[in-house]
Amino acid sequence: MDRRATFSNLWLAGALVAPQILLVIVFFYWPTVQALYWAFSTQPPFGGTNQWVGWQNFQQIFSDAVYWNSVQVSIVFAILSTALSIGMALLLALMIDRQLAGHKAYRFVYFWPYAIAAPAVGLAFRFIFAPDAGFVSAINQLAPNLWNPALKGWDAMLLIVIANSWKMMAYNFIFFLAALQSIPRGLIEAAAMDGSGVLRRARDIQIPLLAPTLFFLLVINITESFVDSFGIVDITTGGGPARATDLMVFKIYSDGFKGLDYSMAAAQSIVLMFLVIGLTFVQFRYIEKRVHYA
Amino acid sequence: MRDAGMIERAPLLNAVTHLLMIAGLLVAAFPIYVVFIASTHDLPTVNRVPMPLWPGDHLVQNYATVWNKSDFGAKMINSLIVALGVTIGKITLAALTAFSIVFFRYRARMLIFWAIFITLMLPLEVRIVPTYAVAADVAEPLRWLVWLFGFELGIAPINLLNTYTGLILPLVATATGTFLYRQFFLTIPDTLVEAARMDGAGPLRFFWEHLIPLSRNNMAALATIMFVYAWNQYLWPLLITTDARMATATMQLQKIVPGPLFGQPPVWNEAMAATLLVMMPPLLVVIFMQGAFVRGLVATDK
Amino acid sequence: MSKRILAAAALAATSLGLAVPAQAQQRIQFEFWYGLTGRLGEIMEEHCKRFNDSQTKYEAKCVGQGGYDKAEQNTIAAYRSKQHPTLVQIYDAGTVNFMLSGATYNAPDLAKDFDMKIDWSGYFPGISNYYATSKGQMWSFPYNSSTALLYWNKDAWAKIGKTKGPETIEEWWDDIRAMKKAGVECGFAFDYDTWMPLEQFSAIHNLPIATKNNGYDGLDAEVMFNKTKFADYMKDWKKLLDEGVARIQTAQTGKTILQAFTDGTCASMLSSVANHGVVGSTAKPGLNWGVTKLPVYKDFKRHNSLVGGASLWVLQGKSKPEYEAAAAYIQFLLQPKEEQWFADVTGYIPVTNTGYKAMVDAGFYADPKRQGREIAIESLTFTPPTAVSRGIRLGNFTQIRAEIRSELEAAFTGKKDVQTALDDAASRSNQILRRFEQTFKGKQLP
Repeated sequence: MDRRATFSNLWLAGALVAPQILLVIVFFYWPTVQALYWAFSTQPPFGGTNQWVGWQNFQQIFSDAVYWNSVQVSIVFAILSTALSIGMALLLALMIDRQLAGHKAYRFVYFWPYAIAAPAVGLAFRFIFAPDAGFVSAINQLAPNLWNPALKGWDAMLLIVIANSWKMMAYNFIFFLAALQSIPRGLIEAAAMDGSGVLRRARDIQIPLLAPTLFFLLVINITESFVDSFGIVDITTGGGPARATDLMVFKIYSDGFKGLDYSMAAAQSIVLMFLVIGLTFVQFRYIEKRVHYA
Repeated sequence: MRDAGMIERAPLLNAVTHLLMIAGLLVAAFPIYVVFIASTHDLPTVNRVPMPLWPGDHLVQNYATVWNKSDFGAKMINSLIVALGVTIGKITLAALTAFSIVFFRYRARMLIFWAIFITLMLPLEVRIVPTYAVAADVAEPLRWLVWLFGFELGIAPINLLNTYTGLILPLVATATGTFLYRQFFLTIPDTLVEAARMDGAGPLRFFWEHLIPLSRNNMAALATIMFVYAWNQYLWPLLITTDARMATATMQLQKIVPGPLFGQPPVWNEAMAATLLVMMPPLLVVIFMQGAFVRGLVATDK
Repeated sequence: MSKRILAAAALAATSLGLAVPAQAQQRIQFEFWYGLTGRLGEIMEEHCKRFNDSQTKYEAKCVGQGGYDKAEQNTIAAYRSKQHPTLVQIYDAGTVNFMLSGATYNAPDLAKDFDMKIDWSGYFPGISNYYATSKGQMWSFPYNSSTALLYWNKDAWAKIGKTKGPETIEEWWDDIRAMKKAGVECGFAFDYDTWMPLEQFSAIHNLPIATKNNGYDGLDAEVMFNKTKFADYMKDWKKLLDEGVARIQTAQTGKTILQAFTDGTCASMLSSVANHGVVGSTAKPGLNWGVTKLPVYKDFKRHNSLVGGASLWVLQGKSKPEYEAAAAYIQFLLQPKEEQWFADVTGYIPVTNTGYKAMVDAGFYADPKRQGREIAIESLTFTPPTAVSRGIRLGNFTQIRAEIRSELEAAFTGKKDVQTALDDAASRSNQILRRFEQTFKGKQLP
């Protein structure tokens, strides 16, 4: 990733990054450092003097079964929705890239979900998947409570996974399609002339060349499902039933902002942040190295 | 002649492809269709199991109710201002930052990249209280910064609550754009830079005359992403706007659907009408920008 | 000389009708944040407008926060940044947080400083006791107040030949089971809310929820609801659920208990009297329904039920004119005329005896569409409040409610046995209380 030809005007380099750095310091690091301080003290809701409590907040978190439950739930959610949305997006992109009749019309519609706000997605899916109203309720006429996200933890999990994947699918699709279109056409045609079939070409040429995109999307999808799933959970399941969808970010928000225990929430935020940083680091370290940028 | 499917026969595979594409169409469009249908019926019809799949005759009435009840016109304009502000701010800052990180050689550049990249990892929801405090007096961190460099300055408090600036700036301070630009700039061949330098172009001229034109599509892609991102913000505007005149459209969703308090039933038809209203502008942007968007993400091989 | 010109100009302006906007600009403004949403939120706005139209000196700027919880959270965040409103509507569960905050301008002080005419003893004891400090002073002004009732479907009960709602819990269960045999699929709809089954149930049975008189006597209280009759009550609910005669109805299942009741699916529910108006306006045509006091177990003597809803807190750090305006607003809300208007459009009960009497005299409760609302007053004032039926004063009670709710979800969905779930809820609640005690170390409940 090092370039041979680079500029060396340090003042200019500094000036170019300065505005962004300033913003990031003011609106990200400053509040984060404050949260860090809160994590090691007790912060009264209305402000006032904190008491330093050292590692107590962290000890309390790690000895709490409910916290570990939310970690587990978050991991399941991240894996399922990343796999589902990337898998579907990749499949659809490969299909569209075959450019059969009508592909433009399909492509046009596949983009749509990307544009929709998480609360709106949440509301729409809550309505569609409601067991007593909406559409999925029809299967409950076969047997009562066959589908009931209000009572069954896994149904609720499935509901938020589907809603989240639906939204992310469009996003991933866009990136995959773009990447597929940037593969030199000659390469594929040459392979076709050599008699390699569609599936074989997908496996041998397209998917390997999609690696940088896949990497980028993996990072984005996993991070997003860890940190950006608040809106959907808040509107659909509210973390329930019985904490079956109590994602880490939702728990942080509800402990801190709703429960007014800013310190405990801050401690959890720090743990979440290190988790995600660690994850990304591993991805960079071990995956990006194997990926060749075109 | 781009079509690889043309140069060979695979009827079975083509049939499967069509089938999958139709399935994909259903998956992508059905929820939006349901929202639309639900917004055209009266409440008892919407609550029927299963709900009808054809439009009803309450469309105008539902939209008029929602529009008037929440003063949607003014709120849409607020959302537009915020979304455009974020988009323009982000495109500019991200391009400058990525340019500096990728094309300049200095030791801190990886540090700066990571410093910005990390902001992806701690969402606003989890640091919302201290961030709110910053928005209430943005001069506080500045005072500290100045103090850190050994000066003492009495900067008057700057309150960003209930302002467009307050709605926009924290959303600009994120990493997505920088990351995207970096990925794109990394694909610019060294030879191009060499050639520009050979012509005697300094960094700024190189940026302006070579990079900007090259990244036009990239910008379009980022603009789309940022517009959608900013328009769809929910929690932040909800917190920092207490003045109804500053409220954004997405915030209204929450006001239209009553909370779980005492189990008041949601008025689904109106809620879905509001949902569709809120969906429309970013959807239009995505539809309109589609071509440029995809081209923008096609990084190489022009 | 110049004064006279000014006066003449003013006179001219008045005659031209220009004085109204000029005066409007000079109005003293103050901000009021409220938590109610939906139709009730609209009514908050209307109430504000009534105040602004009733005089020309002050102007209330009312801002909805999108929920009781959000009103509390946003107010606290705003207070920390000195951007808070003068007046805020805070729900019952937030009372302790505000009492200990040191951020409030307490009701008695405000009343004294601005010469408000308030008959402190005129408030219903059930209401004033709930909000009062240990010295018997209310620090906030009770506003929208409600209590819980049993809503029952008269048509469903008619199928088993009964014309009266159940008095005791045993009778209620028998009715539900009998109705099932008579073809009523769902006799009772409930959700995971704790306000009805835990808080109201404990009050009318005179059972403690926590030691130290439900926390009124100190921050070191511990919850004990897992060891009272409440545990049996929840076991009964689970049993009804397993028998298939009761159902869980939440927004997530697609229908709230309220919808399930108003569309005739389920024959009874526990809900706030504040919903009386909503039930009336959304019930399917021809539905015969009534309300009655919450049933009690037959071995128990009935006590008063608890007040729910919210009170108005005045916050520190505002200017004198703003306080004056807020005081005028509160005074306005307490007028019998306003109390009656508010009670009429919502279903909330009047907070003062005088207001109630005036409404009775005016024939308010005789109107068939309001029939049954007086039962709420009857329930609230059934006995004088005892040490535990007066209310609950536990730190961070919102979070305790959330814990119990989660554990009830686990119990009702069969993930845990009911007693285990309640024991877990109790131990988690105690952690919350200890945490609260630690955060407010050295502070005493007033």
